[in-house]
Amino acid sequence: MESLLYISIMTKTADDRLTSSARRASLVDGIPVITLGGLTLGIGADPDQSASITAVWVALSAAFTLSIVWVFYRAFRRADEYQRKIQLESMAVAFGAVMVGLSVVGLLDAIDVGELKAHVQMVFIGGVMLWLVLVDLRTRFHR
Amino acid sequence: VKNRLRELRAAQGWSQAELADRCGVSRQTINAIEAGRYDPSLPLAFTLAGVFGLSIESIFSVG
Repeated sequence: MESLLYISIMTKTADDRLTSSARRASLVDGIPVITLGGLTLGIGADPDQSASITAVWVALSAAFTLSIVWVFYRAFRRADEYQRKIQLESMAVAFGAVMVGLSVVGLLDAIDVGELKAHVQMVFIGGVMLWLVLVDLRTRFHR
Repeated sequence: VKNRLRELRAAQGWSQAELADRCGVSRQTINAIEAGRYDPSLPLAFTLAGVFGLSIESIFSVG
C-alpha cells in the first residue's frame, strides 16, 4: 500500500500553478498573433497587388512582427529559469534555420525566381513555429 | 551536481507539482533537477533548501 502511494506521488503529472497560468496566457496571446500571421501571409501571397494593398501588407507585417516580439517578451517573463534555458536553446536552433532560409530566399530573389515576398514571411513564421515545436518537444519528452 | 530532491520530496509526500508551487517554479524544472538534467541557480537552490528546512549542502553535492 505504501509503495502504491509512493508511486502515485512520484508519477503524478498534474500541472503546477505556473504551468497552468502560462498555458492560458499563451492561448490568449497566441490567437491574435496567429490571425495576424494568416492575414499577412494571405495578402502577401497575391502577386498582383495595388499600392494600397501593398501598404496594408507592410502595415500588417510590421504589426505581426511587433506582436511576435510582444509574445516572446511575455513568454520569457512568465518562464522560470529552466524554461528560459530551453527557450533560448530552441530559439538559437530556430534562428539558425531562419538564417539559412533567408539566405536561400535571397539567392532565389537574386536570380529572379518568382515573387518571393510571401516566402520571406513564411521563413519568419517557419522559424517561430520551429522554435515553438522545439520547446514543446523538449518539455514533452521530459515530463 | 547530484541531489536528494526526489528522496526528500517523497519523504514529505509531495508531488512534483506541489513542490514546484512551493518554490514558485514549474513542475518541469523540478523534474529536470531531480533527473540531473539541470543544475538550479543559487537562488533556486536556496529556495529549495528553505522549503525542506535544510542547508544547500545537505541537498546538493558535487558528484
